[in-house]
Amino acid sequence: MPDFLSHNITVINFILINMALGLSIYLTLSTGLLSLANAGFMAIGAYTTALIITRTDIPLGVAIVPAMLLAALVALPLGMLVLRLRDVYLAIATLGFGEIVRIAALNGDKVVRWFSDNKDLIVFNGAEGITLSYVTPKIVLGLPDSTWPLLIYLLVVTYLAFTLQNSRYGRVLASIRQDETAAHTLGIDVVRYKLLAFVLSAAIAAGAGALSAPVMRVIDPRNYVFSKAVDILAYAVLGGMTHWFGPIVGATVLTSLPEILSFLKDQRDVANGLIIMISTIYLPGGLVDPKMWRSLAKFVLGRNTSGSTA
Amino acid sequence: MRNRLCFLLMAVVAFALMAGDSVCLAADSSAKGLSGEIPIAGVWSLTGDAAVYGPSQKNASELAVDEINKSGMLGEAKLKLITEDDRSTKEGAITAFDKLIKKDKVIAILGPTLSNSAKASNPIAQDAKVIVLGVSNTASGIVEIGDFIFRDSLPESVVQPNTVKITRDKLGYNKVAVMYGDDDVFTKGGYDVFKKVLDDSGIKILTIETFKKKDTDFSAQLTKIKGLNPDQIIVSALAEEAAGILTQARQLGIPDSVHIIGGNGFNSPKLAQLAGPAAEGAISGAAWFVGNDTPGNKKFVEEYNKKTGSNPDQFAAQAYAGVYIIANAIKNAGSSNPQAVRDALAKTKDLDTVLGKFSFNEKRDPVHFPVVQTIKNGKFELFK
Repeated sequence: MPDFLSHNITVINFILINMALGLSIYLTLSTGLLSLANAGFMAIGAYTTALIITRTDIPLGVAIVPAMLLAALVALPLGMLVLRLRDVYLAIATLGFGEIVRIAALNGDKVVRWFSDNKDLIVFNGAEGITLSYVTPKIVLGLPDSTWPLLIYLLVVTYLAFTLQNSRYGRVLASIRQDETAAHTLGIDVVRYKLLAFVLSAAIAAGAGALSAPVMRVIDPRNYVFSKAVDILAYAVLGGMTHWFGPIVGATVLTSLPEILSFLKDQRDVANGLIIMISTIYLPGGLVDPKMWRSLAKFVLGRNTSGSTA
Repeated sequence: MRNRLCFLLMAVVAFALMAGDSVCLAADSSAKGLSGEIPIAGVWSLTGDAAVYGPSQKNASELAVDEINKSGMLGEAKLKLITEDDRSTKEGAITAFDKLIKKDKVIAILGPTLSNSAKASNPIAQDAKVIVLGVSNTASGIVEIGDFIFRDSLPESVVQPNTVKITRDKLGYNKVAVMYGDDDVFTKGGYDVFKKVLDDSGIKILTIETFKKKDTDFSAQLTKIKGLNPDQIIVSALAEEAAGILTQARQLGIPDSVHIIGGNGFNSPKLAQLAGPAAEGAISGAAWFVGNDTPGNKKFVEEYNKKTGSNPDQFAAQAYAGVYIIANAIKNAGSSNPQAVRDALAKTKDLDTVLGKFSFNEKRDPVHFPVVQTIKNGKFELFK
């Protein structure tokens, strides 16, 4: 493994996880839904997987399936309820959901003990969380075995986002974002498509949570606090909400920036904040804004180049 | 459209290859015997929600390294301290450990500040056979990770029994009310120990009330407690919440004769600042106390004041002692080989530190006498 990779493999792992999380919120954002529930769904995925792989011999690749299904099952009724709300009201309601998941993980054992004869039963283990045992990473095909599942998952999710954006469904979702009423009058079943985007987004976030479990190793409620929900949103906002490549760039920048800026020591947070502030002010469409890049290309290459339709 | 995806994949591969060639890192880890620079590291929560604790650990560890390098304690060799911020997250701690071990090739890491971060990051060091000395981890399941994991922070299971025994001898109580924060590993762990000690000593627990971090209103719990008329109130809380509990308990008319007894979390100068007169008489067990007459403590408090302009807290003292404990092991090992230093570290016995005579037991947990302190005129004093 080259030095650069081996020295930065943990950062790369977290970038891959955050890319998938960014894509999960991109799905709802591209439908015009400002949902902050994804940290909660990530928690559902992580806890489900952590419980399965610490208590059974089921491998990670299989445990991710019930994790994603459970999140989708939770997202369905939740979506039916909260998707009646719009904009900031939806954000507040979904934020509430994230907190419910966190508090449930914190106090879940008290509830479990009610239904059980064993009054010292430990399932979620409150604030201490679930600790996964450490396995020395093996190098498979030039990458640690913990990185491969993340990379494969990201490719699958990216492919999904990529095809979705260019499919009929993608255009339907975009039309809902641009003008919900107009979409409705065109005969689009707005509620159903919104629900589809919400459930899919929940499942993707849960999958990212599931695969993050062996990398984080300690699954406790503190991983899924309010600020995590905001971080996930920031990946998409900084990267751009209109193209699937946006959240990928956003997650890479926001995850690696604190490490790149570590030479600034105490001033790191200031620089970090400044970079995010300046880029959102001057690039309101995100770092990946097809319109902006197209006009930039026009400007640089002169007027002869016609704007590509990519 | 297909072409674009292909291009992206090609770009990723090209980037990975380029990066592999161009990055070359010089690591000076060949220092055998005691000469040159011996790299050690501190991983602290300097930003994020545990940023209350990290900076004092950073300052104290820098102070200790400066003193050791000036004194010539390690002969020709000098300690080189590399400080990393884990941003109070597990991701941060894991990333910092990975970098320190692979890139900086440190032989020992102090920290990380939070126990759950330690559980996530310490196995990496154990796997690479790099020493970790936790200086603020008190939860269970830390030193159990492996034989390279040590800590100098007394767990609550040592501090609390001592607090209950000494205060009971002096105050003579039989029934208490208990309050604790149930969403924090530290305060929850403190409660578990208090509960066990109280049960073991046959003290009756009238009620157990809980609260959460950042709560500001404790009147419901305290009103209930007042009605039950306990002899004392046992509280497992961090300084901010403890200050709120102290203030509101007195406002609700719980008499001064009912002392509020706490754990390590009370051990912050902030408690008296925040609670003002209501903090008077609050009792807490601690691993260290600012007026300790332990060797070097007076000098430490003076120097720390000179460096930062404020008194050190327990976190600072434990980090300061931690650097000296590692330096002593390096000196005794006569080598900067991590295995040799680890073996010397495990043999640490009755070492004079600001925490008192310090030893490690066979589980690599610290052994030294805890103290019981009380607040008088806004200052910590030994409880007598």
